[in-house]
Amino acid sequence: MHEEKQLKSMKGRITDFLYYLYRIVIIIFAISLFIPSFNPARICGMVNGNMSLFTSGVSYSALTQSITRAVNRGWVQESTFVLLFISSLLSCLGIFSAVAAGCMSLGSFKLRRLGHYIVLIGTFVGYLGLGGALIAYNQVSKTSNTDWVQPMFPNGVYIIGAMFTIVLVLTIVLLYLIPKPNKNEVYSLEAKYKLFLILMPFIALTFVFSYLPLWGWRYAFFDYKAGGTLSWENFVGFKWFTILFQNKATRNDIVKVMQNTLAMSALGLSTSWCAMAFAIFLCEIKNMRIRRFIQTCTTIPNFISWVLVYSFACTIFATDGLISNLIVRNGGTAVNFLMNGDHIWLKMLAWGMWKGIGWSAIVYIAGISGIDQQLYEAATVDGAGRFQKMWHVTVPGLLPTFFVLFLMGVAGILSNGLDQYLVFENPNNTQDIKVLDLYVYKLGIDQGNIPISTVIGMVKSLVSVTLLFIANKLSKIIRGNTII
Amino acid sequence: MKINLANKKNEKKQLKSSGPKYHLHPGDVIFNILNYSFFIIFTIACIFPFYYLFINTISDNDLVRKGAITLIPKGLHLKNYISLKNVNDLMTSFMVSVSRTVLGTGLMVAASGLVGFVVTKKEMWGRSLWYRFIVITMYFNAGMIPWYLNMSMVGLTDNFLGYIIPGIVAPYNIILVKTYIESIPAELEESAYIDGATYINVFTKIIWPLSKPILATIAIFGAVGHWNSFTDSLILMQNDASLHTLQHRLYTYLNETSNIGAIMRSGTGQLSAADQALLLNSKTIKYTISMVTVLPILFVYPFMQRYFEKGIMLGAVKG
Repeated sequence: MHEEKQLKSMKGRITDFLYYLYRIVIIIFAISLFIPSFNPARICGMVNGNMSLFTSGVSYSALTQSITRAVNRGWVQESTFVLLFISSLLSCLGIFSAVAAGCMSLGSFKLRRLGHYIVLIGTFVGYLGLGGALIAYNQVSKTSNTDWVQPMFPNGVYIIGAMFTIVLVLTIVLLYLIPKPNKNEVYSLEAKYKLFLILMPFIALTFVFSYLPLWGWRYAFFDYKAGGTLSWENFVGFKWFTILFQNKATRNDIVKVMQNTLAMSALGLSTSWCAMAFAIFLCEIKNMRIRRFIQTCTTIPNFISWVLVYSFACTIFATDGLISNLIVRNGGTAVNFLMNGDHIWLKMLAWGMWKGIGWSAIVYIAGISGIDQQLYEAATVDGAGRFQKMWHVTVPGLLPTFFVLFLMGVAGILSNGLDQYLVFENPNNTQDIKVLDLYVYKLGIDQGNIPISTVIGMVKSLVSVTLLFIANKLSKIIRGNTII
Repeated sequence: MKINLANKKNEKKQLKSSGPKYHLHPGDVIFNILNYSFFIIFTIACIFPFYYLFINTISDNDLVRKGAITLIPKGLHLKNYISLKNVNDLMTSFMVSVSRTVLGTGLMVAASGLVGFVVTKKEMWGRSLWYRFIVITMYFNAGMIPWYLNMSMVGLTDNFLGYIIPGIVAPYNIILVKTYIESIPAELEESAYIDGATYINVFTKIIWPLSKPILATIAIFGAVGHWNSFTDSLILMQNDASLHTLQHRLYTYLNETSNIGAIMRSGTGQLSAADQALLLNSKTIKYTISMVTVLPILFVYPFMQRYFEKGIMLGAVKG
């Protein structure tokens, strides 16, 4: 009796351990769905090397985006790619079934057993898909134009196949280990896991869109050209990092860009008190209706996009804009003020203020209405005038808010945003307007220079996070309160 | 809200009662004049572009071309707005913008509500870990290029879903909703659980209706964000012009230096005389498209205002 119990607990421990293993394997399996080098559908050079199994399985147009020419010339059959698409879809379904089983493995034995049955079918479907990919590869490799089609054996078939096998083996072992079915069992899931499973899709989304991009930092270490692949052959280590400083042209670019970025951020920070002043003086307008009206009108610009701001700028300052019209009417010649590249930092600051100051003031206006009225009364009794009350009562009341916003601004000193500078950029001002974000956009998206732009983005992200931590620490030291 | 109203009433009373006693020193008068002038000038600077754009779209096109419209519209007509149907791809872009705004906002609000609710449940497995896992993403990002490569890896470039799916989980909004839900009395939920309600029941029947104010706030800010979003269209939809948003389209038109005929369906040969005239008038076309792009914002603006301060004050709460 005693021995049996011990055996049982031994068996239970092994089962538990295997379930942990099972779930970890399934998570890795699910992630590999998004890793391009594991894609079993990459059977030839015409399939984008940047495409994951997931994309191949859900988007036929993405899978076949560059095969048109080869199909028209008869080098490959379109049916091959239909087969490839269906195969990818089946492989995806197989992986989905494993994910479902992984979720079910958190429940009662009956639920777990159901999950295992699903995964048995799913693995079969997945193997079918991998087989289909191999058949497609076989067809593609018979092409008459190997230079164009570049057939290549999809190594992903082995990797995904191996994962299916591991899951299958674990499933069979676990099916054997868990207790035999019995009539009283029900499908059930503990509340803590129920809640977790509700949250899981959102965790997955966060992972894919916020954490997975970090995996893209590896491009900084490779000699990568758009559409190509990463391999140890084009691994270059820190080459791009050193090129930034050694190559004279790049270095000059970076110095100029950093000047623009820091100057415009500094201008923005050094004028950030303006919003507070705006709020304080606005509250001196005692007529509530007028004050509301002003507040309404000055907040609107915050809610239109930078493209529209640029459109407004054109209607007023362009060659056919309002000011030129007035000049022409008085006998002058039309001028396009937007093409003028002088004082562009100040102009950008002015546009930023026009758009943002009314909105930034709202938080201070709310702060002012939160200041204790007794303080003002006391100040009046003490004989304080209007400005003294502003300076000695209102400003100290708003300073904590100002301080937090200022520190956040310092942490974001490298992130000026892209929109504003992109829309206002033109050949005359491009030298002085190019901030870091715009530079990265031009370099990476327009010129396709992925590695260097990744390096810059990477350094920028790291510096920003560090600054945020420092700002947070400072806030903790000075105010005894963190900002994040 | 009630407290606010009471405050307002008090303020009004104070104003009234203090009115007659209020002595105006010369210094006060000068201050008020300067203060009012500043704010009036700034207010005009803020709304004049909207007005100027608008009167130019409804005035006689010839006068507009000559630059004769400054403050008062002349020769009113709405032909410009009607002619927009002939502008290439404008309708497509409009539909893209509208559908991404509706779908994107709807899904974001639903997700924020659900996630905000679930992370308030203490019994959840790994609650604080997962909450931090989501919220911490506010403070870092991999950078534009890795993000773009990632989007292309998961197949969301040149794909309408690229506008929707990445925006579903919005950490900041989740914090707002979570904070709000925490302020709802727990007894309401507990009695429902005792009656045998499931989590989903409680969420749809109790939490969702009670959280409407905060959900409306995030919905409105989310919708404005979607409508104004421009760089994602620029970066993600490089190869498929039919997926460009209205903002992106406007940007393209504003930069169109060549003959504006390129943006009109000139090849069909079915243009009316009025449209022919319009063809020559790139200025009014640009103005009218800008107006169409800004109008939805102006329409929702009055509704938004109610939520400004609420949203901003809630924003002061930490995660």
